[in-house]
Amino acid sequence: MTDKPLKSHVRPPQDTMPGGAGQGCPAPDAQTRSIWRRIMDDFADHCRARSLFVLHYCTGCGAIELPPTITSRFDMERVGITPMVTPRQADILLITGYLSLKTLKRVILSYEQMQGPKYVLGFGSCTINGGMYWNSYATMKRLDQYIPTDLFIAGCMPRPEAVQQVLLKLIEDIDAGRANAWQDYYRNYDFYLGNQQRLFGAGWNTPTDVIGEARHYGYYGPGTEGEHTRLLAEGGGSAARLAHAEYPSTALTGRIKS
Amino acid sequence: MSIPARLNEVLNELPAIQARPAGARRVRVDVAPQGLPALLELLKGRLGFIHLSAISCVDWIEDGQFELVYHVWSHEMKLLVSCHVRIAREPGVYVSVHDIHEPAGFFERDIHEMFGVHFDGAPSMEKFILTSWEGPPPMRKDFNTRKHVEETFEWVDYRPDWLKDIERKGGGIES
Ligand code: SF4
Repeated sequence: MTDKPLKSHVRPPQDTMPGGAGQGCPAPDAQTRSIWRRIMDDFADHCRARSLFVLHYCTGCGAIELPPTITSRFDMERVGITPMVTPRQADILLITGYLSLKTLKRVILSYEQMQGPKYVLGFGSCTINGGMYWNSYATMKRLDQYIPTDLFIAGCMPRPEAVQQVLLKLIEDIDAGRANAWQDYYRNYDFYLGNQQRLFGAGWNTPTDVIGEARHYGYYGPGTEGEHTRLLAEGGGSAARLAHAEYPSTALTGRIKS
Repeated sequence: MSIPARLNEVLNELPAIQARPAGARRVRVDVAPQGLPALLELLKGRLGFIHLSAISCVDWIEDGQFELVYHVWSHEMKLLVSCHVRIAREPGVYVSVHDIHEPAGFFERDIHEMFGVHFDGAPSMEKFILTSWEGPPPMRKDFNTRKHVEETFEWVDYRPDWLKDIERKGGGIES
């Protein structure tokens, strides 16, 4: 979609970041991104790639291939990958198959709760082009239109070997600082939000203030805001404020208004 | 398999009913729309058909009819009876049987949402499972799923530029 920097620590200089200053969060100063900082970042990437928690979002048939992937037959823990039960503690969101529009909403909510850096894997043909549900009115066709997806695993359904391959590829990418699709959600939020609104209506909203986060992390780009995010504002304030009215206090654990 | 005598006895009490065996432990009964509530009531009261496992609906668009199938099971007789009725597609109105089988309310609401059949006297005809859905009932045969999908979703680009580049160099995925 956009030119992605090769390394996660390559960010725009501070003065090009709207809202970068005065947000209560010390934006990284160009000077401090010294060699030392870069070595630290590379080291962090290297370590991160060796300890990954996966949230299996088992919506489709392919979920049946995950127990053998995780347990003794293929044992992904050998390479530092283990299941996690909540999105907030997970690094990888593994979507195993078709997503109905109703489920897609929940996936987006889960994704937005995950802490960066986060990675999305689309498992099975259904996440790539709708698979055998290509002409169903109720399922989405391309996962990467709604949340940035790092890698896809083709097949219906892919075998554990394929899952293993893609996880190894992800490890390689993280280690090399290439797995940066998650930053695209901030840089091009308007694109993703527009696609979401197309399915869920102009009133679609989530409790996460993605634009605020984009500023906070320094990933605010020309595509962060646009005609679609304006609809959020028209709804009476920032995404977060509007959403809090809709999802009271227990915003993310409570019942989701559909 | 033939129809058990006890069942035959009950069926003979009702007018305009056709019954035939439809496999082991399964009987198909065709009944006129006005006769269905009485049939379900008799089956339930006399032969223990207390379990309504499902109501299904078929859209026979060419005949201008909806077919409703009520599947009831008797633990006593260990038998499934499928009661078929056909109603006019327009206006697509039928009567609720939730006073005989309470779970019917659930199935009727579902059929209302998917096919647009209205059940008089049903506890609820509100929206049910489909969310963010403004279109017509999607399981009706006159709903053009393909057109809807083409208008709502974007297809994957099966021949992206990078593939064309590879093809120009003699590679690619086509044999
Ligand atoms: S890709 Fe195949 S196995 Fe996977 S969810 Fe779709 S239909 Fe099921």
